[in-house]
Amino acid sequence: MQINPNITPTILSDMNQSQSALNTALQQVATGLSVNVPSDNPTASAAMVQNTIDTGNVDQYQQNVNTVLSTVQSASSVLSNVVTALTQAVSLGTEGANGTNSAANMQAIAAQVQGVFSSVVSLANSSVGGTFLFGGNGTTAPYTADSSASTGYTYTGTNDVSSVAVGNSLSVQVNLPGSQVFSSSSNNVLGSLNALVTALQGGNSSAISTATAAVNSSIGFVSQQQAFYGNAENQLNSQETSLQQDTVTLASQATNLVGINLATAATNLTQAETENSAAMAAVAKVMPNTLLNYLSPPA
Amino acid sequence: MGGLNTSLSIGMQALDAAQGALDVTSHNIANANTPGYSEEVVQLSANSMTMSRGQVSGGGVTLDGLQGTQNQLINLQIQQQTSLQSSTNTQSASLQQMQTFFTTTGTDVASALTALSSSLVALSASPGSSVTQQSVLASGQNLAQAFNTTANGLTSAQSTADGLVTESVAQINTLTQQIGALNGQVARLTASGQSGGAVEDQLNQSVQQLSQLTGISITQSSDGETITTGSGTPLVMGDQSFSLQTTTGSDGFQQVLDFNGKDITNSIQGGQLGGAIQVRDTTVPGLLSQLNTLASQFANSFNAVQAGGIDSNGNPGQNVFTIPINLADAASGISVAITNPALIAVSSVGSPNSNGNVASLSAVLTTALPSGQTAAMAYASLVFDVGSQAANASTQSTAIGENLLQLTNQLGATSGVNINDETANLIRFQTAYEAGARIVSTIQQLYADTMNMMT
Repeated sequence: MQINPNITPTILSDMNQSQSALNTALQQVATGLSVNVPSDNPTASAAMVQNTIDTGNVDQYQQNVNTVLSTVQSASSVLSNVVTALTQAVSLGTEGANGTNSAANMQAIAAQVQGVFSSVVSLANSSVGGTFLFGGNGTTAPYTADSSASTGYTYTGTNDVSSVAVGNSLSVQVNLPGSQVFSSSSNNVLGSLNALVTALQGGNSSAISTATAAVNSSIGFVSQQQAFYGNAENQLNSQETSLQQDTVTLASQATNLVGINLATAATNLTQAETENSAAMAAVAKVMPNTLLNYLSPPA
Repeated sequence: MGGLNTSLSIGMQALDAAQGALDVTSHNIANANTPGYSEEVVQLSANSMTMSRGQVSGGGVTLDGLQGTQNQLINLQIQQQTSLQSSTNTQSASLQQMQTFFTTTGTDVASALTALSSSLVALSASPGSSVTQQSVLASGQNLAQAFNTTANGLTSAQSTADGLVTESVAQINTLTQQIGALNGQVARLTASGQSGGAVEDQLNQSVQQLSQLTGISITQSSDGETITTGSGTPLVMGDQSFSLQTTTGSDGFQQVLDFNGKDITNSIQGGQLGGAIQVRDTTVPGLLSQLNTLASQFANSFNAVQAGGIDSNGNPGQNVFTIPINLADAASGISVAITNPALIAVSSVGSPNSNGNVASLSAVLTTALPSGQTAAMAYASLVFDVGSQAANASTQSTAIGENLLQLTNQLGATSGVNINDETANLIRFQTAYEAGARIVSTIQQLYADTMNMMT
């Protein structure tokens, strides 16, 4: 059998291989990743592009959900306050319609209902973070009390609704414009309050009763609108759960693609170290060995 | 006295032969680590002996000469594999350098697309906020910069490869001149009936170096070796060498010309030169064109959606991205055209808090571009391309390395110097020399004894 007397190339090649395995193992432990450059795993690296984008989006969707949720909850609680105010107006109207009130009392009741009217206007102008909850896309307070108007107020908001992205191809409508929340063809919250004030001031019991009934019907109307916000809240809550699941899924996908189990990485490193030392020990033993070592120098 | 004279001359021949063999052994040991050196073996032959009238004459040993142990077949294979490996290594080094630009570092295109995508999602929730508008604008600028950086990384690898072309051609010319001269020496030695020996080793070594630079094909003729490039352009014929030249081509890169001035750039394969040309003319342009298409299509789609919306000042959206007219400059030259975040067309109806156009802007990232792929998919396939090319080059290089190691071992087994063998030879020829000396001293003693008979 022929053998190559020069073992250096073989030794160097072996040493390089074990050194490179050691470097790889070390890098994997240091970074916690099995894929550090695209050539480590081209398919996984390519898949990570979409994963990174999706992860970034899901994070932002969760923030959007939280922002929108607080807006929706605020709107819902404002509407509850409106219902409370309207209920108060109904009891005042009922009191005014019972026919036993003096003229002075009637004026006092009218003034109280006027106060309710003002507080409902103020509620309808509620804003969160500079955005008016019931102003459509308007940038100024949508409602102004206006005694010259037949309904007693003017609406300067827009009729727009906004939808906010909370998932891939999922957006949630987050507001109703005031023109829709507080009025319809058959109901007008502020208008009915204003009519009640006028009726109380006029002192006609039957007119007061009619006006009170209209305010009462507005309560039902506002409650219906409140359901919209309740639905949105439910939708957002369930979307939040689903986004949390997405986060977990994406993270585990990333781990599967480019991550490495730390125990595996540590084992690989130990193994590579052992192999490298063994290779070097073998080289140190074999390199200086020739027949010359066994010849005594000439006497 | 004839018999004693014969013995004396045989003894002298034995001394000469042992001396010669010791010289060769020493020469082998001295050159054990000389690159390209192949072991020399002494050729000894016995002289014929004749018997005439009871007298023996002739005999003894003659040192015929030296026999080289080169193995041309293995040398040839080594040269081919060396060309291949050198080409693969050049490509691998370039790709390793290029792929760092496609690694998730925070400044790469994937990170920038991610940031732009999530800033648009944020804009959907707060369309009127100048902070979120600014963040979209900043993400757009980062994306443009990421395209610039990646494109520059690719072109820089391309220029490095171009520099390597000039350098390789200069090295090839130096080597072919050397090879021509060595070829002449070998031819003269062979013509005078001598072994090429050391000169041939040197020649082999130079050819080996040449094969690292470019793929070559070798034919033996009476004048020595004829070396051409893989596609037949002559480099060396006998003692003549033909220089390659470089000239700046229409694309601004160095083109390789043969001695007649004919452009042979596209036919060069293998070796450092072949690898550099492959990187410069195929690998990088392929990746750049994908990147340019992506940058240009994405920017155009984004601008189109922007134009369909209304900005916070109530005007139709202006272009967000400026793209150079020439597609080849798209990725390296893309920039953001606007500096005022209020110019982002968030609205579809014109009221300041409306976010009607944001969903469409977001959709640019999730819907297919004219290429049929989304931006993320197009970029992902680019990442895959770079990664798999780099992985292939490195795997191929390892495989060729194994093959080359095998061949080197084979060559070493047939023509390498084995110190153990040489040491054994040293002892053998030392003993032979001592034995020859003993013959001479014995004959001398016999002469003296014969002389004494006369007194």
